[in-house]
Amino acid sequence: MSENRNLPQASGETRRDVGREVQRPEPALMPLVDVFEDGKGITLYADLPGVPKDKLHLQLESDSLTIEGEVSLDTPGEMESSHAEVRLPRYRRVFSLSRELDTDKAQAELKNGVLKLRIPKAEHAQPRKIEVKVT
Amino acid sequence: MKFEDLKQGFSSFWDSMSEGWQHLRQTASNALTGFRPSEQTNLPARSQVDDTFYMPSIGWSMLGGDVFEDEDRVVVRLEVPGMDKNDLDVEVEGGMLVVRGEKRFQREESEGRYRVLQCAYGSFRRAVPLPVDVLSDQAKASYRDGVLRVELPKVRPEAPKRQTVRVD
Repeated sequence: MSENRNLPQASGETRRDVGREVQRPEPALMPLVDVFEDGKGITLYADLPGVPKDKLHLQLESDSLTIEGEVSLDTPGEMESSHAEVRLPRYRRVFSLSRELDTDKAQAELKNGVLKLRIPKAEHAQPRKIEVKVT
Repeated sequence: MKFEDLKQGFSSFWDSMSEGWQHLRQTASNALTGFRPSEQTNLPARSQVDDTFYMPSIGWSMLGGDVFEDEDRVVVRLEVPGMDKNDLDVEVEGGMLVVRGEKRFQREESEGRYRVLQCAYGSFRRAVPLPVDVLSDQAKASYRDGVLRVELPKVRPEAPKRQTVRVD
């Protein structure tokens, strides 16, 4: 059962993202997040149920973070779905990050479907002007 | 650090279309689940959170579920991320698979601010209707990547029913 067949395919659709055009091939669900900021950096948690480690993609650039995950449905081969709560099989969320964050030192963990990402602030940065825009 | 408008902007029409559709479908099928925090849940106070949508009294999450069956068994998958498997309680009651749990909030050790707090925490109950009678004492459950998977053998092995409805 895939209701999303009826959804418009966004191939070729581009999206502006903080001054950058990004090709958006498929619709995806935005994961819920928690973002905590302290003097030394930010910690982000994202709910990504059903996404195994090998299907999680994190793209960290100096000013943006993209979280993308594909849900791995371990549908037993011969089974039929008698009740499926339609779900897009993909999560995606993009954040623009302040340059004070040292993305090279980011650390990520995926446990029980929750991503925990820690991005420290660059050593010299004052804990003042960080912008994490939620898009 | 100022977080004046943390807007949930949709970046493209297609995104908001698909997410809106998604929520509509899931809401219609009871996936939208209320999480009720208690003292034990350890959520931060309203004053410590900059997220304007934060409500320490109740949280909402889509616990999407799927039910699959073949001749011998029914398999239920329920998305419940961030749980400790010991905090999940699974029972069969009145033709439904009832999952109860408590999702605890892990406070950060350092001093800081919660800028965004969208995930749901606290105790919840989600009931998924089962298509046939099952042998609950032979059920097997596992929890992986935040998905609870429960396999229940059928009392009477039978092919999944196909109900034909005549259209006049």
